[in-house]
Amino acid sequence: MLNTFWISFRLKNTYRVNGIIYSIKQLPLIGKILPNKLYQSKALKIIGNIISILIEIGSIFLGKLLYVLFVILAMLDMMKANPSSSFVHIFVFLTIAGAFLNTYMFNPTKDKYYAMILMKMDAKKYTLSDYGYALLKVIVGFLPFTILFGRSVQVPLWICLMLPLFVVCVKATVSAYTLKRYEKTKKVTNENLPEKQLWIAIGVLLVLAYGLPYFGFALSNTIYLILFLSSLLLGGFSLFYIYHFSSYRKIYQELLTTNNNIITQNTTTELLKEQTRKQIELGEGTSNKTGYAYFHELFVKRHRKILTKSAKKTAIISFFILCGVTIVAFVNPTLKAQLNSVILVYLPYMVFIMYMINRGTVVTQAMFINCDHSMLTYRFYRTPKVILGLFRERLKTLIMINLIPALVIGGGLALLLWVTGGTTNPWNYVILVISILAMSIFFSVHYLVMYYLLQPYNIAVEVKSASYKLIQTLTYLVCYYMLQLRLPIFSFGITMILFSIAYSFISLFLVYRYAPKTFKIRP
Amino acid sequence: MKLVVENLSKSFDQKQVLKDLNFSFEKGKIYGLLGRNGAGKTTFFNCLNEDLPIDSGSFYLEEKKEKHPILAEDIGYVLSTPNVPEFLTAREFLKFFCEIHQDRISNEKTIDDYFDFMKIDPEDRDKLLKDYSHGMKNKVQMLVNIIARPTILLLDEPLTSFDVVVAEEMKEMLREIKKDHIIIFSTHIMELALDLCDEIVILNKGVLEEIDKKDLDNKKWKDKIIQALKETDHA
Repeated sequence: MLNTFWISFRLKNTYRVNGIIYSIKQLPLIGKILPNKLYQSKALKIIGNIISILIEIGSIFLGKLLYVLFVILAMLDMMKANPSSSFVHIFVFLTIAGAFLNTYMFNPTKDKYYAMILMKMDAKKYTLSDYGYALLKVIVGFLPFTILFGRSVQVPLWICLMLPLFVVCVKATVSAYTLKRYEKTKKVTNENLPEKQLWIAIGVLLVLAYGLPYFGFALSNTIYLILFLSSLLLGGFSLFYIYHFSSYRKIYQELLTTNNNIITQNTTTELLKEQTRKQIELGEGTSNKTGYAYFHELFVKRHRKILTKSAKKTAIISFFILCGVTIVAFVNPTLKAQLNSVILVYLPYMVFIMYMINRGTVVTQAMFINCDHSMLTYRFYRTPKVILGLFRERLKTLIMINLIPALVIGGGLALLLWVTGGTTNPWNYVILVISILAMSIFFSVHYLVMYYLLQPYNIAVEVKSASYKLIQTLTYLVCYYMLQLRLPIFSFGITMILFSIAYSFISLFLVYRYAPKTFKIRP
Repeated sequence: MKLVVENLSKSFDQKQVLKDLNFSFEKGKIYGLLGRNGAGKTTFFNCLNEDLPIDSGSFYLEEKKEKHPILAEDIGYVLSTPNVPEFLTAREFLKFFCEIHQDRISNEKTIDDYFDFMKIDPEDRDKLLKDYSHGMKNKVQMLVNIIARPTILLLDEPLTSFDVVVAEEMKEMLREIKKDHIIIFSTHIMELALDLCDEIVILNKGVLEEIDKKDLDNKKWKDKIIQALKETDHA
């Protein structure tokens, strides 16, 4: 058993180290300088091993630290029951809920796939050693924090010591029950695909975990003692059952290979391709146009789920929200006055809202996966005339579609401003509407231009452009920063309109200049 | 007319995949491009199709001793993994393709004529391409690459995903159309190359070499090819 554990541990460590070296190779600039022989470098392997050990230690302690700190300790202030009882109460109920969602044994991970399917390691020996190690990590990882944080709220030491053991026993009991169920029904459980009833049970447990202490109720120490003793008894039996169970090979053969595209078909890119393909709907729509206009129109019609339908849905939801706010404003005069002052200075906030409702990333992803990924292999499709012609068509469509919710939001806000008391400067109405439309146009241009200038995907649909990721993050950060700003409609609106116009002109110039060279599949 | 490749080189990092290639491919012949795994056959095609930038050298079309650059419409490339726009039906893709290449598609065949020619069943013609099997997608890809009559046709392992009946039909079709094209056919399957191709060219250690059949029968020709692949491997 120890030998099996050592082999599997080394296996896991090897691809973890290779993964670290691969990540180093992907860094912009540094990656280009480093040679491909990197994987043979002993020094780098040592660095990789050190990082790998740090990750392993981190995986033991960090998650548990954050869990006890934020999910339990941080909640205690809100509870009416005393902190000590609440701490143990929440811990116990969350442990029972978590035991079903995080069994470890029934999680189809890559480690298990490599070891048992690819390397053909003995399934029972591998599972027992791997599971044993996982349970050991639970005890070692939880113990310092149950003592540290538990004692800080006066939880008795014996309970602090028992809690990690309780987690292990409950997990083992759930795993043994699941194995027993397999023996009876031959049904393999995948913990990542919980059944509906389980979700309901988890919901109830969560309500009990937080709800009871919130209202001042928590289980007593006597009940905990009974609970811990029975969990020890059940856990002991369960571990004995797990140790003697013999059909691990059959279970993992099914869990790791059948209907498990994530593992067998090389990671998330396959899943992404699959999901993006599902966005294609045949429907009734056809086109009377010809050539590239025909091609583009059919793309839009077949992707109406993420284009027109999505925009209309956003417009309808926005309409109802604005109607709701208007009604509330009429009913509550105090709120009406407050709303008026909010609208007058909260226009920067709308940048973030417009950012959130724009589906540029999803749309350009669909453009690549469902269309350009295959079409860019045809040389006629890569000629400057075709690239720029299709870019124009796509830009027009995206702008028009995104303007639907923008019009509702812009118009609705102007109306809300008027009904909540209006403004002394009538230009505010016009600028409010136009600036919202400008924001919408800005985001439509931004995503498409980024896609054409940086085309980030390779043939395997992996994002290979560090600049693309960087700009995406910067876009988010700038929009998030806008949430903090409070500026008058007039000045901010004018600035936003001028910025959108300037940005659009500059970026369109860049596309016409460079896209014929940049819009291709990355090597 | 012929496709002339002159001093073509391509490297990835330190590895030189194509070394100073020189070769002429003539119209009316099917060239079987053989090479071991990783020899650089697909890289060679990707360079000709300008999917990859070359490090040095050139390639062009030559007719009556006049050189012509290779334009986008001169080249058809059938990849081993079929690439077709999955949001279109086969009929829509073909209609679109015919419209944008109408200046090159001279004879007035209907779309259904093309489907008949490629033996794509009527009930499959209006299905979305995303619902096609690998082999069916390959047929559509082959069809669109043929109907625009490109001078050069690059076929990268095109028959491996077909069943035996379709593969035979495809071979027959290639023999029919070869008089109008320069066809380079890359494959791992020796028997297929010997059966279909007029010339055998091997790519090994980054160099192209024609294996002349002369008066040899197929058995001896095959031995000669294998020997050539082994020799260059140990060179």
